[in-house]
Amino acid sequence: MAAHLSYGRVNLNILREAARKELREFLDKCAGSKAIVWDEYLTGPFGLIAQYSLLKEHEVEKMFTLKSGRLPSADVKNIIFFVRPRLELMDIIAENVFSEDKMHSARDFHILFVPRRSMLCEQRLKEQGVLASFINIDEYILDLIPYDGDLLSMEYESAFRECYLENDQTSLYHTAKGLMTLQALYGTIPQIYGKGECARHVANMMLRMKREFAGIQNQILPVFDTLLLLDRNVDLLTPLATQLTYEGLIDEIYGITNGYVKLPPEKFAQKKQGEGSKDLPTEPKKLQLNSAEELYAEIRDKNFNAVGAALSKKAKIISAAFEERHNAKTVGEIKQFVSQLPHMQAARSSLANHTSIAELIKDITTSEAFFDNLTVEQEFMTGVDTDKVNTYIEDCIAQKDPLIKILRLVCMQSVCNNGLKQKVFDYYKREILQTYGYEHMLTLNNLEKGGLLKPQSSSRNNYPTIRKTLKLWMEDANEQNPNDISYVYSGYAPLSIRLTQVLARPGWRSIEEVLKMLPGPHFEERQQLPAGLHKKRQQGENRTTLVFFLGGVSYAEIAALRFLSQMEDSGMEYIIATTKLLNGTTWIKSLMDRPESQTP
Amino acid sequence: YYVTASYREKRLDSRLSVLQSAVDEYNKAKNEFSAKATEEEMRLLRFQRKLDDEKGAGLLGLSLQATMEALLASGLNKQAEQLYRDFRVPDKRYWWLKLKSLAEKEEWEELEKF
Repeated sequence: MAAHLSYGRVNLNILREAARKELREFLDKCAGSKAIVWDEYLTGPFGLIAQYSLLKEHEVEKMFTLKSGRLPSADVKNIIFFVRPRLELMDIIAENVFSEDKMHSARDFHILFVPRRSMLCEQRLKEQGVLASFINIDEYILDLIPYDGDLLSMEYESAFRECYLENDQTSLYHTAKGLMTLQALYGTIPQIYGKGECARHVANMMLRMKREFAGIQNQILPVFDTLLLLDRNVDLLTPLATQLTYEGLIDEIYGITNGYVKLPPEKFAQKKQGEGSKDLPTEPKKLQLNSAEELYAEIRDKNFNAVGAALSKKAKIISAAFEERHNAKTVGEIKQFVSQLPHMQAARSSLANHTSIAELIKDITTSEAFFDNLTVEQEFMTGVDTDKVNTYIEDCIAQKDPLIKILRLVCMQSVCNNGLKQKVFDYYKREILQTYGYEHMLTLNNLEKGGLLKPQSSSRNNYPTIRKTLKLWMEDANEQNPNDISYVYSGYAPLSIRLTQVLARPGWRSIEEVLKMLPGPHFEERQQLPAGLHKKRQQGENRTTLVFFLGGVSYAEIAALRFLSQMEDSGMEYIIATTKLLNGTTWIKSLMDRPESQTP
Repeated sequence: YYVTASYREKRLDSRLSVLQSAVDEYNKAKNEFSAKATEEEMRLLRFQRKLDDEKGAGLLGLSLQATMEALLASGLNKQAEQLYRDFRVPDKRYWWLKLKSLAEKEEWEELEKF
């Protein structure tokens, strides 16, 4: 059913199955027909665990989204609310329950909190006088959701904001819990490395939780050899840069949510000629993107400049395969050909889809605006004129380009210069406030607090040192046949991934100096394994590392890690986990403050 | 946090007074930039109110740039000029704006004069 999850080095289907089992158990607790009322945010992630068919098997007949007012009528015995533990949602639920009670009362109400129940929320329900109406109040622990064969995400949008702006460590607790669940299924991870404040917290929590369960020994042979915890604020630069891999660009331009992308329909319209041209699809085309699609798995992590060549090569292979039918003479040959047809047809339609997507993207990447933007980004990353006001940014502000674009560039300059000169800093801020409105003062404050945008405190700029030591800029990045991770940004090698790479070989001791320049402590912990579980490693067998990005990770970084896994001499395979899949735009957005009501 | 509160205030007078408290707080915290920016914001709000009352221009709540744009579009060049000087808008940005607005109104003769 979710075959793409089990191809990888670590079978993540085990995790998914465990999650499904728990869901079934809960559904069976509420006997009889049911309707589910969804917190809208949860539907996407849930879709990755269980399709509608599973819910249907357990007598779920109706599904609604949670909104205030009265529930839509449904002839069911149970109403189940699937919600995040948020106070504002509790008020809506209370309203729902009240309006329902007045009509008829033969209903049973249940709440399922995802990922954890909260005392505060229950208290709120009590205050509203509806707590007693619920028969079951339960929690469904869903921390890490498998997105692909090598990718886990919590899809916890506000994690970065909470950790670095609001000092709220809830997300870190969920992370630690999620890692414990993972260890229960895949064995204790013997070695833990980390860099950053939050990484330290998570590791501490994990070790404490382990002590609390001291009596129970985990008897599973460990699948992961190493866990690496990385704070997003160790590497603020990477997500700000425009990603240049195929998947990265799809995300930058159209946005990928929960493994799906919505594309403008025009490009996909002409294929259904039989239906006539009168009803062009106006709904955006929705496509699922994961490694289950053979072609996509092949090209997703390539630099976009190499995608065209890969697509045309594929096209030739497919048409050659179709040509084969002329050579099929015997019945046996024809039979074999026919048996391959569905597979070939699927390949052909996937090729058509991706060619269309690539064309759409190409329209944008070849535009002047995209090129100018990229040039400026690369100037900053190579350290050109980062201490002056940049004329391109100035022009963009004057032309009122989208604010997020401006913020991305300004933050990038700030990070590459280890803070902007006070004069430059104030100038940008004034320009932004005057052009986009004073209400953005709060957003600027947030960025400052998060360290993305700051005035220079010490006179020394340590970014050049970091860049040189970690070889963050490679002049001759090979986009077609990459030999280094820097291909994902056409020259810039993501700092976070370099750290991962160095950790595997030759080890962090060689870069002590640089580690000290980056924020937060770095550390190493060991977890004792019960005797007899020490893995005997065969010659040539790869080690497996789980890299956890606290505060989000971009698709280009994922691509870079996959690239490292595939390198023959690396001896290391990577599984990636994160609090949220993000790009520069969604990231900045999560840090913005929008005062909701404007003066009328 | 006063700034957030100020956006919740529907009425302008009370909004201005909340912003004033924000300025005071910023001064206490020695956050010069924010204090100044907030004062600027108040100045802009007052200016917008004055013009709205006089001409019914509907400017309230717009950013400075958008205000100037609106002024230029409705031919109130003098007022736009005044904002440009009062708020020390960088030349570059102002000329961009002015060019754009002239082009939109197709006043090519004015454009020639630059």
